[in-house]
Amino acid sequence: MEKLAALWKRPLFRIGLGLFLFLVLAGAVGGIYLTQIPPEQPIQFPHAFHVGVGAQCLYCHPGADSGPVAGLPSSGKCWGCHQQIAKKSPELVKLAGFIERNEPIPWVPVAIQPDFVHFNHQPHVAAGVDCATCHGDVAKMKTAEPQRGQNMGWCLDCHQKMRPQEFLRLGDCATCHY
Amino acid sequence: MAEEYPQKWGMVIDLDVCTGCNACVTACSMENNVSFIGEDENAYGRGMQWMRVQRYWEGEYPDVAPTRQPMLCQQCGHAPCEPVCPVFASLHSEEEHINVQVYNRCIGTRYCANNCPYIARVFNWFDYDLPSPLNFYLNPDVTVRRRSVMEKCTFCVQRIKHGEAAARAEGREVADGEIVPACAQACPTEAIIFGDLTDPESRVSKLTRSQRGFYQYEELGTAPAVVYLKGGGEYGG
Repeated sequence: MEKLAALWKRPLFRIGLGLFLFLVLAGAVGGIYLTQIPPEQPIQFPHAFHVGVGAQCLYCHPGADSGPVAGLPSSGKCWGCHQQIAKKSPELVKLAGFIERNEPIPWVPVAIQPDFVHFNHQPHVAAGVDCATCHGDVAKMKTAEPQRGQNMGWCLDCHQKMRPQEFLRLGDCATCHY
Repeated sequence: MAEEYPQKWGMVIDLDVCTGCNACVTACSMENNVSFIGEDENAYGRGMQWMRVQRYWEGEYPDVAPTRQPMLCQQCGHAPCEPVCPVFASLHSEEEHINVQVYNRCIGTRYCANNCPYIARVFNWFDYDLPSPLNFYLNPDVTVRRRSVMEKCTFCVQRIKHGEAAARAEGREVADGEIVPACAQACPTEAIIFGDLTDPESRVSKLTRSQRGFYQYEELGTAPAVVYLKGGGEYGG
């Protein structure tokens, strides 16, 4: 009887293993890539233009200086200005559609943290941290883009650098995790 | 792990006015997103409440009277649960002087629960369903724990953090009675008092010095932050 080659020497096994590893790797790369690109938004809101004409971050995200959540603007807030402006672009026609149907705009949050992290905007704004420090320079973005590496090491780095004398408080687990 | 300075947050539970109504247990479960596990799981000893009201019987048969004792994590200054955790998920908050449980670090070895003399820790044996519309009750300030994670009373650290943030935003100290955990808020007889122990004039500090006060398992040297008051039927002592 012919002796069979060892399992790891058989070509079919090697091809199968190669394919399997390739698929796993491709899935991982694709998944990570999807978290790094701006998500699809209901309206292609041009941040760069609005910052350019002088709109303050806090005008549309008013929660940032008073509470944990900065908030996304309601359609009424957009309409406050855009009611009086000619709807030239197709994005503004979409906005008018939301207003007409009396529907909220289903904005997709971009800067998100996991459930076990509790971030509070208010102390950061009060301490004079610029929005761009964490959210990137939105004056150069069209729709908001996720920022790389918003992880715990990045938080703690800044806490240690900015307030070394208060690191006992700012480096405490219970500051963010509860 | 042991504390070198006086504890910051403390609680007083007055057993003389506690009626055992379980309002604290309910309020705690609602505030802290504690899972509902059902009767069967509870019968297996997998109850998830962060605090419980223990009942004891006092006296001989015809003259028996129940006494009740709310039991929760004592936020020990020298906690038995902390040194046994292999991944530092159960550790001491040097800022708030409480024992914190970091859910995302926890790998579910359950050493901490086995080492806790107060049996204050509960374990997520399963992911428990929360059918709609019950999911709307979830508190957004508290993590929804997953399976295989240990959890326990946090002294409502989310309320402490919010209270401190609000006080700091206004540039003042936290006032006595401003930060109230859910159990103390719900207690109809004000048997549970919470406050800052480093402030000698706070209500909880004054009650801590009461002659009726005692610690649970004081002989173990765990330095609990919860003081129980019991006068043995002689009030005003």
